[in-house]
Amino acid sequence: MDWLQLAWLIPVFPFAAFILISLLPKRTLFWEDGGGYAIAGAGGALILSVFVIWDVINGRTLTGPEAPEFTWVLINAPGEALQITFGIWIDQLAALMLLVVSVVGTLVVIYSGGYMHAEGDTRRRYYAEITLFISVMYGLVISSNYLQMFIFWELVGLCSYLLIGFWYERPSAASAAKRAFIVTRVGDIMFMAGIIILLKYVGTLDFEPLFAEAGTRVPPEMLALSTALIFGGAVGKSAQFPLHEWLPDAMEGPTTVSALIHAATMVKAGVYLVARSYPLLVQTPESLLIVACIGGVTALLAATVALAATDIKRVLAYSTVSQLGYMTLGLGAGGYLVMEAGLPNGYNAATFHMMNHAFFKALLFLCAGSVIHAVGTNDMRLMGGLRKKMKITSLTMLIGALAIAGIPPLSGFWSKDEVLSAVYHAGDFDPVFFLLWAMGIGTVFMTAFYMFRMWFLTFAGEPRSDVHAHESPKIMTVPLIILAGLAITSGFALFIGDGFGGFMEQSIEDTGISPPHETMVDIAVNIFSDPLTYVSLVLALVGMGLAYKVYYLPGFDRSIFVKGVPGKLHKALENRWYISKAYDDFAVKVVYAFSVLADMFDRYVIDGIVNGFAYLGGRSGGWMRKVQDGNVQRYASLIVIGICLLLIFMLYILPWGGW
Amino acid sequence: MIPLVYWLVFSSLLFCIGAYGVLTKRNAIVVLMCIEIMLNAANINLVAFSSYHSSLHPALGADLSGQAFTLFSIAIAAAEVAVGLAIILSVYRRYKTIDVDQINILRW
Repeated sequence: MDWLQLAWLIPVFPFAAFILISLLPKRTLFWEDGGGYAIAGAGGALILSVFVIWDVINGRTLTGPEAPEFTWVLINAPGEALQITFGIWIDQLAALMLLVVSVVGTLVVIYSGGYMHAEGDTRRRYYAEITLFISVMYGLVISSNYLQMFIFWELVGLCSYLLIGFWYERPSAASAAKRAFIVTRVGDIMFMAGIIILLKYVGTLDFEPLFAEAGTRVPPEMLALSTALIFGGAVGKSAQFPLHEWLPDAMEGPTTVSALIHAATMVKAGVYLVARSYPLLVQTPESLLIVACIGGVTALLAATVALAATDIKRVLAYSTVSQLGYMTLGLGAGGYLVMEAGLPNGYNAATFHMMNHAFFKALLFLCAGSVIHAVGTNDMRLMGGLRKKMKITSLTMLIGALAIAGIPPLSGFWSKDEVLSAVYHAGDFDPVFFLLWAMGIGTVFMTAFYMFRMWFLTFAGEPRSDVHAHESPKIMTVPLIILAGLAITSGFALFIGDGFGGFMEQSIEDTGISPPHETMVDIAVNIFSDPLTYVSLVLALVGMGLAYKVYYLPGFDRSIFVKGVPGKLHKALENRWYISKAYDDFAVKVVYAFSVLADMFDRYVIDGIVNGFAYLGGRSGGWMRKVQDGNVQRYASLIVIGICLLLIFMLYILPWGGW
Repeated sequence: MIPLVYWLVFSSLLFCIGAYGVLTKRNAIVVLMCIEIMLNAANINLVAFSSYHSSLHPALGADLSGQAFTLFSIAIAAAEVAVGLAIILSVYRRYKTIDVDQINILRW
């Protein structure tokens, strides 16, 4: 059985669930108002995805004309026909995303059965929207051309908007949804502009001919512009600086949505897009440098804000932005390695981190959801001492925190280390990567600190408010345990078979890479003989230790954070470096001033012209109507005079003029 | 045979006299009579051109279409006079005058 040919069916399962949940009468929705259908849809897609991934692991891919496709738009222009098809494209990268979306998607839908239990009738809307999201996310992953990808790209944006605004009766949720939609739209416009450039020069958007011909048919500066614009799409979707502020606000949605869409899948779409465009990106060093710099700045900036956040979900949101910055940085540096040395290390590391991060960040979000479910607040200052009451949640969250902090042998250690090592080695070709590496290593320290600050504030010490917390039901804790298992083990993918790198690099082998053949032992020796590994490990441990001292051991006076120079810094961090405020000010002052100007123009110039004509007509009518004085003989005189003038004109003036 | 141009000058004079009367006379009945004069000027034109046309093309025989149209025109003029007099009569009943300068309520 050739499962790859059936890969187009993967999005159909959740879509069928979406249709059923939306249209069935209420009494046939059964368990949890449609939760059963959602789990069935996500589970069906998971099973089929597993078969497809198994095929890919066995070396079969579907990246060419043999893939099933149908023609969607056919334009027969003279000389040049434009054909837009809907097809599927399954390579190692797509298989990796399929794994992430299917596993996290299914677990989150199961977890929702407990988390959304109290929502009553609105659960139907929730399950319909989340199955639609899973479906279009699969569609995005298996797209075989940029236009198809763009369509699904917009659809995941729509689902994100709907789910952030799930509690739309709260003004903050409604405005966060609008903000997410509008800010990502800025990136989407850039993405669209980028693919229009490619379409103009190459005449097709299918990946296969596009990647083969773009290098020869697109002028270099236009290719650089188009890849930079496509990366602009990723900046919006993956919440990179300067368009990152929508993601922390998106935490207004249910925590399950944050875990699935805003940590594990949709925000990875930007990274996925950059990885997918690798054959184009490696031809444009300028764009790669932009990618790497934005990634590095985002990683550092977001980590600093996470240090001072008090909302448990905001900490995780900024952490997500920071980790996405790592992936972007890894892809940017990896492109340099491919271009200059033929090494796929950066690409492998970034995609590896993408997978690991999906698992441990989904875990962290679902743990946070479990805590919020129990305590009823997001504010960590009102938590504390939950460790005894919520044993499973606290333990799984500790695993997630250790994984993201980069403590071996958990998954985050392996991938983060690979990313940083790739960035460091890219420094051989452009010294700016040393600076980016330093930013990354600083982020490692801060990540460990804010993660354990969060854990200690939530679970350790004495309760700081009188809530009757309790452990969540099994339907929520079982997905946590599964994800914790994945957070521990997914890092070992580095050592299975030819290694994770040996698997991933096949998807970009057309870019002319010459990877060294490494055995399992080589990989391990390389990691542990590199002094850089120990630098990041020691920094992570120092960060954890500092968090332990400040937030766990009694007797530390935390008021030094709010006084003097650290106080100013703390205030800046609490206000998110004033970036959000700057956007608001920009909108209020500049855009408002422009709007006032436009209003004036409309009111006085446009309306002035219109009203002026009306006034002119009215006045001249008032003046001209005096002619109509009711005297029939005067009318007759005017007619006679008019006919006489007309006759004179026709008989004498016109012939005289030559007509 | 009287040349065509004589007829045309005659009918033009008749038309101008009629038009002058229509434009200047205040009595509505006189105005109606002047309209009749203008109408008859047109009738003379029709007959004149018809006979002129026959004299130009003797091979076609006598063409009486102009005369026939003139008979139509006279009949219609009779009907029109009946209507016009009826209007003047009802205007007189309403306003006790047939001075067209006074009958100017249909205005701005």
